[in-house]
Amino acid sequence: MRIPREDRFADIEPLLGMVERPSRYLGHEWGAVEDQEGPFHACLIYADVYEVGQPYLGHAILYNELNDQEGISCERAFLPWVDMSALMRERGIPMLSLETASPVASFDLVGFTLAHELICTNILEALDLAQITLVAQDRGEDEPIVVAGGPSVWNCEPVAPFFDAVLLGDGEGLLVEVAQCVRDARTESVPRSVLLRRLAQIPGVYVPSLYEVVVDESSTRWGYAVPVEGSGAPARVLKRCLPRLDTTDPVAQRIVPYLEAVQDRLAIEVLRGCARGCRFCQAGMTYRPVRERPVEQVVQGVESGLGMSGFDQCSLSSLSTTDHSQCAQMLNSLHERLDRVGVRVSIPSQRLDSFGVEMAAAVGSSRRAGLTFAPEAGSQRLRDVINKNVTQDDLERAATNAFKSGYRRMKLYFMMGLPTETDEDVVAIPKTAERVVQIGRELFGPRSKVSVSISVAVFVPKSHTPFQWQGQLAFDEVRRRQQLLLHAAKDHAVRISYHDAEISLIDAVLSKMGRAGGELLMAAWRKGCRFDAWNDQFRFDLWQEAAAQVGIRLEEVASESYPLDVRLPWDHTSPGVTKGYLQREWRRATQGETTGDCTRHTCTGCGVCPTLGVRNELAATRS
Amino acid sequence: MTAEPCRLRVRYAKDGRLAFLGHLEVMNTIMRCVRRSGLPFEVSNGFAHRMRIQFSQALPVGASSQGEYYDLKLPYAPDSDDALARLVEATPLGLRPDAAVVLPRKVPALEAWASMSRWDVLVVGGVCSAQGFLKKVDQLVTDDVLEYLRGDKPRRISLQRALVSYEAFDTEEGMRVRLTTRASEQGALRPAILVRAAMGLDPLRVCRVAQWHEDTQGVRVDPMDKRRCLVW
Ligand code: SF4
Repeated sequence: MRIPREDRFADIEPLLGMVERPSRYLGHEWGAVEDQEGPFHACLIYADVYEVGQPYLGHAILYNELNDQEGISCERAFLPWVDMSALMRERGIPMLSLETASPVASFDLVGFTLAHELICTNILEALDLAQITLVAQDRGEDEPIVVAGGPSVWNCEPVAPFFDAVLLGDGEGLLVEVAQCVRDARTESVPRSVLLRRLAQIPGVYVPSLYEVVVDESSTRWGYAVPVEGSGAPARVLKRCLPRLDTTDPVAQRIVPYLEAVQDRLAIEVLRGCARGCRFCQAGMTYRPVRERPVEQVVQGVESGLGMSGFDQCSLSSLSTTDHSQCAQMLNSLHERLDRVGVRVSIPSQRLDSFGVEMAAAVGSSRRAGLTFAPEAGSQRLRDVINKNVTQDDLERAATNAFKSGYRRMKLYFMMGLPTETDEDVVAIPKTAERVVQIGRELFGPRSKVSVSISVAVFVPKSHTPFQWQGQLAFDEVRRRQQLLLHAAKDHAVRISYHDAEISLIDAVLSKMGRAGGELLMAAWRKGCRFDAWNDQFRFDLWQEAAAQVGIRLEEVASESYPLDVRLPWDHTSPGVTKGYLQREWRRATQGETTGDCTRHTCTGCGVCPTLGVRNELAATRS
Repeated sequence: MTAEPCRLRVRYAKDGRLAFLGHLEVMNTIMRCVRRSGLPFEVSNGFAHRMRIQFSQALPVGASSQGEYYDLKLPYAPDSDDALARLVEATPLGLRPDAAVVLPRKVPALEAWASMSRWDVLVVGGVCSAQGFLKKVDQLVTDDVLEYLRGDKPRRISLQRALVSYEAFDTEEGMRVRLTTRASEQGALRPAILVRAAMGLDPLRVCRVAQWHEDTQGVRVDPMDKRRCLVW
């Protein structure tokens, strides 16, 4: 019997005075859809706290789409922080939705966002708190259909056992089809097993229980997935792809949070996809092709979105906003209109060239906070390997322009352990930063307070990228190279910080493992792992214990490399980029050959356009 | 409508589940309501271009109120009924304004000026009766300085200055406490601090029923009293 749908706010109200930030649990924000008549009820869950999940744009898009459907209602839920979940468990209160405070387990459809690998234990925590059976195959007939989608579906095997279905690619249209399919099947009272088979017929839907894992000499030790005979499931599930962005409403975010969210501003998606072809970047491969929203739509969207929401900041969001063919026009037009009413426009990513700096200055990025660039690698050789088409000259020109525009601080992002990295490449990281400091001093004088901070993350090889066959740099070697880097940095104006290497190790393990990763996740969660992306909550010791319990060594899993012709655990799900292209890109990487951007030059043959019947949709010609 | 720059003083409630908003959250929410209302607010000249708005004394998280205030600086005086209607339209139910007056630009800043608060507090559970509570508070007032923790920071407040009056009654719901407090540069006495010090437990409900200014003669001045607000 499914948990009844009823308003249980009265159960959590007495707890609000006992927890941190009670405003996380209030709901009823401006713009939230209050009318939740159904009769079909869906709940979208971002398995982190409210202020992290609420700004997530994908959630907002799907929330609007589902609520616009006749007969379908959609609510939101976020994972309560540890203080609240402890109190709820103590009192037997299940996880509740925000709009009507109904138990999540009472919904017909529950959809999780796979935002990144480190959210996986939170998904188990949410299912458990919701009192939904964790493993999909053990779920009762009456329990909700639990699905997932989002940027990290591209090796979803470790979490696959917990989902009835995983939605690949753009959610527009797709989630509605899934909801309709579930609704129709429920109306006809068909058994769950039949419902799942129907779901598997929808393009873009992967139903894990209809696939079995085969381990043989053609595969890695994690095997590959093949459809169960007679299931009718496709051998390879291709992603869904929205052909154009201008057919969608530019204002997806209609809910205005009460508490300060991590991105506390209106976000307008100005383009989707990036074709620069950085070889380490999963989003660059999986969000292709590029689809731009025309400038008029962006400007009109910003104006109406600000009017509806009352936000005083607006972000033009995408993987690379300054690549938009009408970026300058967009910013100039917005700047003129919005400056006098105290609204600030921001752009999330800066190109490492003079245009990027010009645009940063145009939006008036805080001079105090400084500018952020991501050269990713210290040497030209390694930047060519990763296809970061940025030269030392570009970087120096960008730094010069930034200093001339009044910036005194700069933040540079790098990765350590990229394929083929040598000690010279590591030493080149602080040297690059020191060169930037030197440029600043040449301009402002030797005693000027120019500073550069560098943040160094450990590279995590991701599925569906040209580096998917590579292992992560071994832990001891990470430590040695970190020391090498520290000792190579001589200038006090260069500050160095490292991203937690243990967190990157878990990220790599979950990015590499197949379905067996589910056991590791379950063991880790049972030991108390959750909120792994939060440095103060991450418990590496518990992950190690969990790994020992399921008989694996974390480091060994993460650092394993595979031959190019091996069958990979994620081969049955595809963003449309062909394996042949990825192999070719890997070979070019090893030879230090770069590959161009197909929105500026010719098609480089990644396979997305012919496979999915789509193409790059630019609003104007890119410079 | 006149072309003189002015303040629009707005009174609003804080109730229902929005009682759990913190002061910063209330301020941000109201600034967004003002932007949605389309009223022609002024912005500061600095880099951040912040809205020129002032709020009355911070209300603790979890406390509701029947009388909170903000002053919005406008380049010209609007029709106050029209401005109120626009704000009501743009504000969530739990923070809805119920009155607005146009004041000249030069009146004292709300927070320090409206220093008096009247509270209605409900305490449920515990062994103490109203009589016992009053006795405890009498003693605390005699001792004068109350030491307490705010987060993990130790604080002190003089009850003889901050606590103007107190009453308590036993009711069917629990014990009701009525307090009048005075905020000063030393800080403001939060009702929960007093209840905790006297009874060792937290009140179930705290509601600020009114705020006002006390003039030099000790006479109460209502923040919406347009005529008397000008005399200070
Ligand atoms: S198929 Fe060609 S044009 Fe299309 S995204 Fe790939 S490289 Fe670009």
